Amino acid sequence: MNTRKLVSLVIALAMVMTMCLSASAETVTELPRNESLYFAGQQWGAVATWNPIGVNQNNAMACTAQAIGSRTLMFETLYMYNFMDGSMTPLLADGDYAWNDGMTEMTVKLNKAAKWSDGTAITSADVVATWDIANKIGNGTATNYAAFISAIEAVDDNTILIKSALTEAGAPVNPLKVVEFLGNAFIVQKAWIETVAARNNDDATAILNDKADDVVWSGPYTKYISNDQQVVLIRDDNYWGQDASMWGKLPVPKYIVHTIFADNAAGETALKAGEIDVCQQFIGNIQDLWLKDGLPISTYMEEAPYQVCLTMPTAFFNQNIAACQNVTLRKAIALAVDYDSIIANAMTNQSPTFTDVPRSLMNPTEGEQALYDHDAVKDLQWAGNDIEGAIKLLDEAGIVDTDGDGWRELDGEKITLNACCPNGWTDWQASMEIVADAGKNIGVDITTLYPEWSVYQTVFTNPSQTEYAIFMYSPDGAGPAQPWGRIRQFMGGDLVGVENNWTGNWGQYTNARADEILAAIPVTTDEAELKALYTEAVEIYLTEVPSFSLMYRPAVFHEVNESVWTNYPDATDGRNIPPADCTDGYGIAALYELELVNP
Amino acid sequence: MKGYRKYFTKKVIWFAITFVVALALNFILPRLMPADPVAAITGRLVSGSSDATAAAKVYEHYQEEFGTNKPMLEQFWIYIKNLFSGNMGTSFSQYPRSVNEIISSAIWWTICLQLPAIIVGWLIGNLLGALAAYIRKGFDKVLMPLSLFLSSIPAFGMAVILLVFFAVNLKVAPVSGAYGFDMIPNLSWKFIGSVISHYQLPFWSIVLISIGGQAVGMRSMSIYELNADYVKYARFLGIKDRKIVGYVFRNAMLPQVTGLALSIGTMIGGALVAEIIFSYPGLGSVMYSAVTAADYPLISATTLIITIMVLIVTFLLDLVYALIDPRVKAAQFD
Amino acid sequence: MKNTLRQVFHSGKFVAGFCIFAFILLMMIIYPLINPGNPLERIGVGTFAKPGTYVSLYDTVDTETETFKLADADDKRLAKILSDSDRVSMVEWLTQAEVDLTGVSMNDTEKLLDLWHANYDDSIRLKGMTKAQRNYYVRLNNSLNNASKADTLTVTDVDPDTNEVVEKTKIQKTDYVNVGDVANTKTLPLGTDNFGRDVLKELVSACGTSIMIGLIAGLVATFIGLLLGLLAGYLGGVADDIIMFITNIFTVIPSFVLLILISYSLGQDQRGATTVAIVIGLTSWVWTTRSVRSQVISLRNRDHVNLSKLSGHSLMRIIMTDILPYIASYVVMAFILQVSSGILAEAQLSLLGLGPKTTEVPTLGLMMNWAMLYSAHLNGSWWAYFPVILTIAGISFSMNLMNTGLDQVFNPTLRD
Repeated sequence: MNTRKLVSLVIALAMVMTMCLSASAETVTELPRNESLYFAGQQWGAVATWNPIGVNQNNAMACTAQAIGSRTLMFETLYMYNFMDGSMTPLLADGDYAWNDGMTEMTVKLNKAAKWSDGTAITSADVVATWDIANKIGNGTATNYAAFISAIEAVDDNTILIKSALTEAGAPVNPLKVVEFLGNAFIVQKAWIETVAARNNDDATAILNDKADDVVWSGPYTKYISNDQQVVLIRDDNYWGQDASMWGKLPVPKYIVHTIFADNAAGETALKAGEIDVCQQFIGNIQDLWLKDGLPISTYMEEAPYQVCLTMPTAFFNQNIAACQNVTLRKAIALAVDYDSIIANAMTNQSPTFTDVPRSLMNPTEGEQALYDHDAVKDLQWAGNDIEGAIKLLDEAGIVDTDGDGWRELDGEKITLNACCPNGWTDWQASMEIVADAGKNIGVDITTLYPEWSVYQTVFTNPSQTEYAIFMYSPDGAGPAQPWGRIRQFMGGDLVGVENNWTGNWGQYTNARADEILAAIPVTTDEAELKALYTEAVEIYLTEVPSFSLMYRPAVFHEVNESVWTNYPDATDGRNIPPADCTDGYGIAALYELELVNP
Repeated sequence: MKGYRKYFTKKVIWFAITFVVALALNFILPRLMPADPVAAITGRLVSGSSDATAAAKVYEHYQEEFGTNKPMLEQFWIYIKNLFSGNMGTSFSQYPRSVNEIISSAIWWTICLQLPAIIVGWLIGNLLGALAAYIRKGFDKVLMPLSLFLSSIPAFGMAVILLVFFAVNLKVAPVSGAYGFDMIPNLSWKFIGSVISHYQLPFWSIVLISIGGQAVGMRSMSIYELNADYVKYARFLGIKDRKIVGYVFRNAMLPQVTGLALSIGTMIGGALVAEIIFSYPGLGSVMYSAVTAADYPLISATTLIITIMVLIVTFLLDLVYALIDPRVKAAQFD
Repeated sequence: MKNTLRQVFHSGKFVAGFCIFAFILLMMIIYPLINPGNPLERIGVGTFAKPGTYVSLYDTVDTETETFKLADADDKRLAKILSDSDRVSMVEWLTQAEVDLTGVSMNDTEKLLDLWHANYDDSIRLKGMTKAQRNYYVRLNNSLNNASKADTLTVTDVDPDTNEVVEKTKIQKTDYVNVGDVANTKTLPLGTDNFGRDVLKELVSACGTSIMIGLIAGLVATFIGLLLGLLAGYLGGVADDIIMFITNIFTVIPSFVLLILISYSLGQDQRGATTVAIVIGLTSWVWTTRSVRSQVISLRNRDHVNLSKLSGHSLMRIIMTDILPYIASYVVMAFILQVSSGILAEAQLSLLGLGPKTTEVPTLGLMMNWAMLYSAHLNGSWWAYFPVILTIAGISFSMNLMNTGLDQVFNPTLRD
């Protein structure tokens, strides 16, 4: 009897202790909550380096350079891109950039107030040094822009001249990419670059992998804490941007904290709990968070699609596989796919449907949609789930089931295709399942295959692969060079045969007319002419179906919890700040306008 | 004592051989995977460049750095050499971070979570099992099926149930991580409190399951011993019940000590999954991300560390066991 | 044999376990008969529809109605769009907007609504109100405005020839249809999962696959364990040394680690359900080997075995007739344990993303994995994962129970 009492006592004690401990920990804070802005969904795993001229930094908050607007928390670009209207706002630059007549040279003035964290001024020499080191060591800036920019020169201390790379005929290769460079490349201090080069004996790989703990920055934040659990940036109260010529003030949060989660589920939980303010993650049925759970969470838009979609994950047909070279078959499969189902299931309706925004080469933003003539291609567009239409197409083309096994044959051979995407990319996997179903409905045998991402990335970037017949990848979102860049990704003949191809046209599709259009678009300025070119490109794309988009998707997801901070960008506020997680491109402007819910 | 030394040397040799086999398995198996992680790294690096020779050069450079262009046997040799100098290589997925760096920050979380959980579960389980065997009647009728049911719940299932119930619905415990989201690691009471409160759910999810398994085992061992002839004889001699029970449970405990060693080996698998559910920053989470990223230096390292941990614990328990129970030692010399 | 069986079925624990297991098996056979079709078929377009009976809204319009006058119908209707917390929020807004609320009670719906309609304006930006709160009021206002006040609702149709809108039918507040009369209803006892599949149907099918995986894994493990154990125990000498050497190595290397390494090296496209089952079996035979060996050693020198040896019986025959029957009960018990741990192992592997190839056959582990990937546990979709956990626990519990029962039958000292 005594033992029984003892046991129950021990258990009771253990329970009481448990409760006390979990209760006492609730109120603990070390980083003051109302001075910190918490992020999720950008940084996965611990930071590797702080090197703005390096590669593989795995440092999302400090070193993300991207076409939709680089993240200028710690390092800064010349301009800030705004994907809502395509505008470029000067950051390190002063006023607008200026092209010469043939668009072979661009002049950019630097802001005289701009300073490095060590107090020295940012000059043209820094921009030139940034470009030169990039080409010397071959980092991301070089791979992205070396083909389009031939040189950057200093005119005086505050003026630089960017020279377009020229074709043999003397025309600029692509002025749009030069503009993109302005909002993409981080400018790095010349003196620091020299230090790094010297300590690594000018070895390119060593420079690329330098940890850069002593890096000099120009942005409003700098590194504070970084470990396996979190990355914390702290505001630099000497930031030059307080100057009236720039922001005129400091950003509101003192700390930028990115908690490092193991997976999406953990980030989502934290967002719901109010431990995260800004979240860049796909959350299924996001509207339930406010409709059902009544949480103070919102996205940019109150109604579906909730997010600003900038890109369209696409299924590419592999032209190395004989069956995929047949246009009729390609079109029939694309017609039969139930896109509404994909959008409802994989995207939980966080995407406009293809009835809302008919398919083309353009993303669903108003700017891009206005670029082509909708009426001219109306008959070519399809919204999907058109089984009868697809069957009719195939029957008319003589692609029929001749041996009675229920599957159609092409040139006497049963058509067997696979539909692939990386394993664990759940929304894509759901899409591929629906594509396979479409095949079954029209008598074409399509099976799904989900290799691990590590395998997938080596296969789909290989120009001579025959393993994947229909495979998914996402083209670029927005940027100054869009939709040109995206058209190139769908049909660019210059990308055929490129080894380690991460750029585009993974299906190896070629079309001579499309290449001519691609060459003409960047150097065409007349709007009517441009519209005709874009419309023709859309016509070719929809007739030839080298690939078919499955849904529209945001380039960055943007969900905010208003437990602590408020006044985030909103579709109805008229401020024109893009929903870019308060960090990307002109989206950073949101940081200067945040307010505390309970000051 | 001479016999003991002999036993000891035999054990050491034995564990050394096992260790080598484990090393080889850890090295070979992940490398059989069809992925080429070096191509993946170069791919990201040279993306967009249409210069195929440049790409090939970068590829060769990384092959050299990771040594993947050498024959398997030579790679293995390098791997062993590096390992003994305490270098487990560079992670592919988190390049240029070293595996050592990643593992050393994760391993303590795992050890601090697993060891106490397994030991506490073992102690409570054995206590309950012994009580059930001794008291029988109502207590046993309830405890026995309950323990059996508890031990039948998969570790991740228990973790999910605890997570949903206590963290998501009741909100009495934090949902994920090892300490408060707004904390910076330091040695303050607040921080320790936060660590402990985050420790709760993963800890109990492991403890509850092992309580079940251990209680069932201890109960049958005790019943077996209680029905043994020596007990009847002792009763017949009129020895006090209390004293008999003492002997009985000591005998019943012995196989349970091996049970502890075993459960450390088998528990780890389940507990790793529990770590993933709670995003606990231990080896389980590291292994999970390594598996999804085909990062085989990291996979090898995590599985190796787990194997070594199990080896050490088994080894220590073997030694202790031989000290407690001379019969074992004798049996080894057959 | 008959006697043993009778004894076995007298053990309460065994019978309880057996009943649970039989129930699960029965469900696996019967349910597909009631609800036939492909378990992986997507019926829902969205994700995670909650359990319950769904009635086709379209068909109800054409279904014959009955008129019922229920006293609380209006209250229920109102409660659906205006909860108590909504009322509190409305009062809060009105107070903030400095509307005179004297004499208005929270429960005075009519007055509250009048005041609300008179004063609410979504362009008014109140101080300290977050975007989420503003959106909430807009939604509340919309749902209040949209709630039909009229007693009849008119359903219209578009005439395909003239493109004219014609009235189709009128629906009264007091109209009710009998669910049995509606042409299309669908009962989903466990709702749908992330792909819009019927969870119960999938669960039943997954249960079958998982038990099959368990059985294959158990058979492989028991077969290897038995074979090696018999050889080591009966032959002794060098064979014993070699077998025990291998066995000991695999005892110390955690089998789960091996399992992860092997599944990983196989690659996803190689991992069918059967392959996974075999791999699980290949990594879990060590304990059977050890125990069989020690049992065989104790049998090896028994009189009846020696007699057989003297009579010149072949090795095969001695093992089959003189040794196997004596360890059969033990082997059966070990087999049952292997099956249940095989099912568990599959589930754990799948959760790590190392399970069988997805979307060919459902398994319990894959169902769990998908539910987790779509964070069913966080968004309250308990039906997508909880029944899976329960099923795994149920299968494993029933097997453990049977095992304990058998243990007590075969080891009389353990009897209660």
